[in-house]
Order: sequence, then structure tokens, then C-alpha cells
Amino acid sequence: MNNFYVTIIHRPEMVPEYIQKEAEQGKVEDLTRNTVLQESLDIFRTQQRIAHENGLRTTIQMTYASLFNAEAVSIAKEHHQQFGDEIGSTFLGIQCKEFREKFNSKELAIWLFSMDDKRRIVDEVFGKFREVFGFYPTSTGSYYMDAELVNYIKEKYPMVKAAVATCWEEGPKAYWNANNSWYTLMDGGPWNPWIPSKRNIHCIASDEADDIGIVAIPHLSRDLMAVFDGPGSYYGTHPQNILRGMVYEGKELPYFKNIVDQYRSMTKYNRGYSYNMMFVGPGWMSKGGRWESDYAFLLKSYEDGMAYYGELKKQGQLQDLTMSEFADVYREDRPYSRPECTLWKDILYGSKRQMFWFADPHMRFCLDMNQGGAMIDLRPYAAKLIRPVGVGTKANQDASYPFLVQSLYRAGYFTHYAGEGAVKSCKIGHGSEQVDLCTCRTLASFSEDGDTRIVTLDPVTIEFADFSVTVQSIFRLTEGTGEVEIIRRILDSTDPEAELSIDEYITACYGTNEYPEDMTGIRLTLTNTDKTESIDYAYQCRESELENIHSAEAVIPQVDSLLSMRTDESAVGYFREGFSFSPMYTLGIKKIVKAKGELRTWLKVAKAS
Amino acid sequence: MAQGRKGKLNYRCPRCLMREIDMDMLYDKDKDEYYCLRCSFVGDEKEVQRLNTQFREKYLDRTIRITDF
Repeated sequence: MNNFYVTIIHRPEMVPEYIQKEAEQGKVEDLTRNTVLQESLDIFRTQQRIAHENGLRTTIQMTYASLFNAEAVSIAKEHHQQFGDEIGSTFLGIQCKEFREKFNSKELAIWLFSMDDKRRIVDEVFGKFREVFGFYPTSTGSYYMDAELVNYIKEKYPMVKAAVATCWEEGPKAYWNANNSWYTLMDGGPWNPWIPSKRNIHCIASDEADDIGIVAIPHLSRDLMAVFDGPGSYYGTHPQNILRGMVYEGKELPYFKNIVDQYRSMTKYNRGYSYNMMFVGPGWMSKGGRWESDYAFLLKSYEDGMAYYGELKKQGQLQDLTMSEFADVYREDRPYSRPECTLWKDILYGSKRQMFWFADPHMRFCLDMNQGGAMIDLRPYAAKLIRPVGVGTKANQDASYPFLVQSLYRAGYFTHYAGEGAVKSCKIGHGSEQVDLCTCRTLASFSEDGDTRIVTLDPVTIEFADFSVTVQSIFRLTEGTGEVEIIRRILDSTDPEAELSIDEYITACYGTNEYPEDMTGIRLTLTNTDKTESIDYAYQCRESELENIHSAEAVIPQVDSLLSMRTDESAVGYFREGFSFSPMYTLGIKKIVKAKGELRTWLKVAKAS
Repeated sequence: MAQGRKGKLNYRCPRCLMREIDMDMLYDKDKDEYYCLRCSFVGDEKEVQRLNTQFREKYLDRTIRITDF
């Protein structure tokens, strides 16, 4: 049976940043301005009405400010009783007069406080919640909830079982999109719900001992192609995000339904399970209009979106669950080792482009079919980096989980005529000619063989000066192994006697944003049965090759990661050190074949220490 | 010169939008024009709307309901 679960969240945010900024034009700040409080409450009430009219239940995430508002509290209690809505708590919307008086801070992001302050705020927010409702919340959230914060919450309030914990790929691109003033630097997490590791919220827990104790939900369901190369707040299950991205014509935005339906189709890749979350804060439905849209359009887009969910529910194709209900359902059928996968297709730009996304306790990666299945993003979850954020930490505002490959931040295949960019691909060569599969656009299909997920790419034709060959790429992902098995197969050659080289490589680095990091000390190693060769990275362009390679490895101590490639065939392994203008390292395995040969390699990321 | 104020519907700068930067513009009511503090764009409402239409053109599927997944 296929299940499509939807969680709808509303929050009575008494002082939404957008409405507050509007009201402040030409005036001094006043967090108690009655017009703002009333407008925000009206919008919250409207959102609740629209959901209920469509037969949908919600999770009401009470903001700290709303706990002091009798009307907001009364609506929550009434809707809990009448409709079965869940009353939860959120760390969004903490700013209000009472918060300022108690904490003397204008900080709005819970993850950016010092750890001491985080503990004090959690106790205050949860204490006030209990005082108002007589019980503790079982769901909470923010744009980001760091592992240290969630560990504290679980220690003191073990009843909490769900949290909105990240915004998918809301990192440097969101910062840039907001004129470098929106500090949600949190790339690198899963795009669908997951059970986080105790060590880092982005990472998927490996086992019970690593389980942080909540089910994490990403803030919105994002477009997995558009948001990889664009602002998160343009493309997701948030109608006003779509208005912000201007993905509409007239007053219609079919794109919203297209995203929902693409998420529904994820049942194909995830054992019959798919998920959506919708979470629109009141500030996005300001009565003064926003994002070049008047209030009537803001309202219509919300009504249309909710109506679609309601229609699916009536057809029996959707189950609306509150956050805590969803956490229970999710845990019922979720072995720790099960990956989340998706073959996402373009629904925006009119191309046929596909991207395959994969996340499990070992890694998150993305393959781009527009680049012959090149790996364009790789995050070493196996390292489970303890990386606290907030005041007093080394990372401070940078809550992103580091990558080893991110082809947009670090060039990928195309560089400006010097050096190499971060990407994993394969080069097919003959004599002095060589073609990278990054230049061979193709499509893919998904299948399963027991616990192995298989991504099979349509064959591509490579034309050399005197002959052509047909090459197919296959990626096999066997659950629990932490390895990506990659097969490059020559299916056909117009010259059966011609020798071909198959060169499987990964060019990588590490980091969380566009700027290069210090590569000093990264150790590159080649191993076969007789010999080991190693160098420590020093920007000296050194290269080495070894026959009968067993493995080519890079230890990146800065992110405690071991990246390795191996093969069980007779092949040559190599590494290449980079230089300052191209601060990358390359690992590769290559062999010569004639006619219908293939090269099979395995890529792995592990914790180095 | 008149004081710049928020214009209606918070028009963002269409030129900055083209590079995916959301930059609210200020409105000069004396000249009936919007201007950007970042990229020096200046134009009336009609010009802003024309460029916004151009921005949307990159979404070839914006009007298409896609159901085949």
C-alpha cells in the first residue's frame, strides 16, 4: 500500500518579521504594536479555517509570544478539542516584550544562542507552555535545531518526539538571496523526514545508540532540483514561496500541485512511503501584500494549495497527521539502515533533467543525469561530525554539514580554463582522445533487487575520430554497506579491436560554502597487496600511480572523513594533488578494455578516526 | 529630492531578482519611480512589471500541470 502523509503546521506568530518591518516604516520598533498583533492573529485564524474547511487537521506550534496572548491560547485549545489539532511548541517567534525583558536579547534564531542560553530558553518556553496548557509539548521546531539543543530537550523533556529541524539546502544560496542578511546557513541535511544522529542533526542515525530520540522534519518539502541551484524560499510546498519565486502566470500556480505530485511519486523509491509538510507563517500572508502579490492573491494561493491536499484526502490518497502522530507512524516502519531515495525530475525549466538523491546513515549524495550521472554533491554522514553552532562555538552561524563534493560551490566539470572542480565522474579515452561522461546527457531509471537500489542510466554514445562506443553507467546501492558500486560498461564499439581506457575518478575537497578551505594535511594513499604510497597535501601538484590497485584513499582530518575507492579487478590506481588555484585532490582507478569490457569500482565514505 | 519610501506590494528590484537577490526597492513619489539601493536600477511600475514578466519566462513549465512521474 502506498502512503502519502501530510503534516500541516500553523504558528500564531505574534510579531512576524515581515509584517513588523512594514509597520515599522518611519517609526521606531515596538513589539507590542496592536495592529501587528491583531493582523497576525487574524491570519493565523484564517489559515486554521482554510485547513479545517478542507477536512485537514493541523499542528499548532505555539510561539513563545503567543503563550502570553489569551486569544491565541484559546483558539489552540478550541481547535485541539474540536478538530483534533495538536498543540506543539516552536522556537520561531520567540521575540516579544516578555522575552526581551527576560533574556535581554534581540536574537531570533534558537540555534545561534550560546548553549547556556539555549538551555535557559528551552526551560522558559517549555515551562510557560506547561503553565498555559497543563502539559508539555511533544513536538517542537525551528528553522534549525542543532543536535546539542535537541539532546538537551530530550534529556529534560523526554516526551518530545518530533521537531522541525532543518530547511533543506537553505545555506549560502538563501543568504545570498536575502541580500546577505538571512543567517540560515544550514545546507547538507535530508530532504524528507529522518531520525537524526545524537552527534549531528543533519546525519541519519545508524542505530538505536545513535538515535537522538526524535523524528526530524525538514521545514517544507522543497524542489530537489531548483533549490540545489537557487533560493530555497522560491520553490517548495509553500504557496507564498512560489509567489516569491514568481512561478505563476495570471493567478494560477500549477507548480504547487506538481511539487506535491512529485513528492507523492516518491512511494516508488521508498517502499510505498511519501511525505509532505506545509508550514506558512502568518508573515507570508500580510494584508498589505507581499512579493508583488496583493492579499487576495496571497490568500487564494493558500486556499488553492490547501484545497488540493483536501481533495487528495477525500480521494483516500492522503493521510493528514499531526507532527507527533507522524513521528509514531514513521518509526513503526523505518529500519535505521533504510535509505531515502528519489529520482527527481525537472518540473520548472522545461528540460528533461533528472537528479537522483540518496541519503542513509553513511552519506548523502546526488547524481546529475544531465552530466552523465556525475556525483555533484557528497556529504560524509558516516563521519557524524560533532559540530556545535551558536555563540561561543567555532562554527558560530555556519550550521551546514560539510561536503566533500559540491559541484556548484566548487566548479564541478566546468572550470574557467584552469584546474579542476569537485565532481565524481568517469573519462573514456582512446589514444590521445578523452571524453568525460559529464558531457554526455542522459536519463535514468530506478529499480530494486532485494536490498539493493539500482540506478540504471540510458546508454550514451561517445564519438572518437575513427569510431564510436556506447557506454552505460549503473549505480548499485546495497543497504547498510555504505558503499556506492559503480559499473561503467562498454556495450558496443564500431571498432572491436580499438583499446579504450575507462578512468573512474573523484575530484574532491571539503567545506560548507563557496570559498576554499585549507587542504594542508589531507593524506592521499594508494594501496595494493605489495605496496602503499602516501603523501600529505601541500599544494605541490604531486601525482602517483600504482598497478593492481586495491584502494585509493583520502583522509580529510578537517572533517574526520575517509574517502576511498576500490576495485576487485586488475586496474591502475592513482591520486593527484592539486595546487592553490585548484585546491582539490583526485582519486582514480583506470583500466584498459577492448570492445565490451567494463570497470567496476566502489566508493565509500567512513569516519576517519 | 523626495524621501524614498516603501512602494506598493514591496516591489523587489527586477534586475537584482534576475540574479536571485531579493532587494526591496524604494519609491520616489515626486518622480513616480522605483529605485534600487544596490544595483542602481530605476524605473516606473510598468517597467518593473515588464521585467518581472521577463523573469518568469525562464520557467518554461510554469503554466503546465505535470502528472506523469
